[in-house]
Amino acid sequence: MNKTIKLLALLGLVATLTTGCAVNRATGSVDPSTNLAALKTMYVKKIPDDDNTHALIADKLRSKGITVTTGVEPAPGGVDAVVTYIDKWMWDITMYMLELTITFRDPKTDFPMATGNSFHTSLTRLSPKEMVDEVIDNIYKGAK
Amino acid sequence: MLPAMRRQLLTGSALLGIALAGCSSPASREAMVPSDLVVSQQHRHSLRVQTSGGAETSGLDSSNIADADLKAAIEDAVVRSRLFQSIVQGNDGDYELHVQVVSLRRPLIGGTLNVELETGWSLVRRADRAVLLRKSIHSNGTASMAEAFTFVTRLRLAVETAARDSIRQGLLAIAELNL
Repeated sequence: MNKTIKLLALLGLVATLTTGCAVNRATGSVDPSTNLAALKTMYVKKIPDDDNTHALIADKLRSKGITVTTGVEPAPGGVDAVVTYIDKWMWDITMYMLELTITFRDPKTDFPMATGNSFHTSLTRLSPKEMVDEVIDNIYKGAK
Repeated sequence: MLPAMRRQLLTGSALLGIALAGCSSPASREAMVPSDLVVSQQHRHSLRVQTSGGAETSGLDSSNIADADLKAAIEDAVVRSRLFQSIVQGNDGDYELHVQVVSLRRPLIGGTLNVELETGWSLVRRADRAVLLRKSIHSNGTASMAEAFTFVTRLRLAVETAARDSIRQGLLAIAELNL
């Protein structure tokens, strides 16, 4: 009976503190006041402890004909957009990228001109490169 | 313990766990409307509202903000505060407000939950396509165990609080404009 009570308590705790997940989601949108085609130079602002995501984003943008620089410092003058990102990682046997949000911002005001998000849980996980490709492709698909 | 009794207890425990966990629900459009919004001025124009960047909520997902619900909440807040004379649908309206969900940071686990929301607000005058407002709005929402026992309910409450604050900040910024 003692074991049963412990099991019930454990299940209750799990239910209270967590939520299950088996989810795929991908969105991309561009503010109507933004002309995405006019953004020809971008600066990817690297998160200090990020290993490679910033480089994947820069490479993907270069493949679209954009001149890209990266760094942890504030953006240099003269760029059309600053690219920021939030990558969330999870562990399930191995580490994988659970969610990635990429935002193109106005260098002067920080206004989010365009944004994209991808969320894939463990069973349908994508590689970091595939996540970056999906998010940026969805942002450009969102351009009117 | 008898095997049959043990099986029944295990099944009951599993069902209880599922019942307690429940399914995630999206942020409610009614709960995202700031109830006591007082604006500094009321604009004698019509407004069209568009939203993007949100997501639907599936049963096992975290609480999200759906575009349609955010749009309805903003429209309701505009009507209640009389910030604009009227809300229009389709391609009409003197002004176009576009609100983009940029990021919604939610915890995957925890007791007291803190949610961080960023939205981008732009207001365009339709007649000459002049951009009158471009603003990034950051807001937070918190929900504690005292407010709701189950995780999914606490998370929804925190998301709704963050969305409500975002709408409040956005509409107050528009009220400051001289249109």
